[in-house]
Amino acid sequence: MTRFLIALMAFAAPAAAQDFSEGSTARTWNLFAEKPAFFEARVVDMLCELTGDCADNCGDGRRQLGLVRAADNALIFPNKNSQPAFTGAAVELLPFCGQDVEVDGLMLDDPDLGARNIYLVQKIRTLGSSEWVKANRWTKEWAANHPQAKGKGPWFRRDPRVAAMIAEDGYLGLGAEEEADYVREYHE
Amino acid sequence: MRAIAALVALLAPFPALAAGERVSIQGEVIDTWCYYSGVMGGPDAVVGTAHHTCALWCSAGGIPVGILGDDGQVYMVLKIEGDDGSASGDTQLRLASHQVTADGMLYERDGLKYIVVEKVVSDGITNLSHEDYDVIPPFAIPKPKN
Repeated sequence: MTRFLIALMAFAAPAAAQDFSEGSTARTWNLFAEKPAFFEARVVDMLCELTGDCADNCGDGRRQLGLVRAADNALIFPNKNSQPAFTGAAVELLPFCGQDVEVDGLMLDDPDLGARNIYLVQKIRTLGSSEWVKANRWTKEWAANHPQAKGKGPWFRRDPRVAAMIAEDGYLGLGAEEEADYVREYHE
Repeated sequence: MRAIAALVALLAPFPALAAGERVSIQGEVIDTWCYYSGVMGGPDAVVGTAHHTCALWCSAGGIPVGILGDDGQVYMVLKIEGDDGSASGDTQLRLASHQVTADGMLYERDGLKYIVVEKVVSDGITNLSHEDYDVIPPFAIPKPKN
């Protein structure tokens, strides 16, 4: 009976300590706390999942999306897509809202900073599909939504909202006039 | 057998709405990816004025915003004063790097803390981290073209 109960507890225990690196082909970003992680999950609206405040189609891109991992029901928070361009993961996951998927990427676990279940998603596929979708659509989506900002250079130099805030508040956020001397001397 | 079934029910992981707790948090509105990943440097370098432009980029880019509380905890922001734009929303963008007092509901699940902010008061940007770190990343201030 004791052995049976021990086996039962092992089966029922949360899988947080499980190793999800098996089968992963995620590329390293050489981050201190990264670990490859390939797993099955359901794509959810984070606000809805946590509070019951739900919106159609997971918020249509306004809201952060999460992954409820099938193995242990842990709520994984994808903070990042696969582009090295200051870009998040919600745009990548939105087409899969409410679907069961497989994802591959990097998990961060850094207790010193409180990083738990923080994920960088590199590719996604609907469960049962053999076709992966790379999580690198963000910049194309941005370009399609900002035709007036077309031009050379990365999106973050051309984004109208960011440009307006820097014009008003400066690069340090202290006020464009207040920090003018610092900015002028910065590259000297 | 009933006892075993009850044990399974007790031990099995289960999804559920997290119970909210009313809180008031004081801290800085941060870019969580740079803070957690260390991709731009240590945690003291990716806050405040030194990292303000990067915080704007990341917030506009849809990276989750958090409040780094004076208690050292990160509170992932899901909604601010009725604006559910937690992925590149206007309200959170305007608060990048600001020191705030945020009243709202706290939720916790699987090692992370989340906050639905009902009221926020900003004291502006008070962490003058550029005095120690200059600008992170260094290219945040572009070189003059001439």
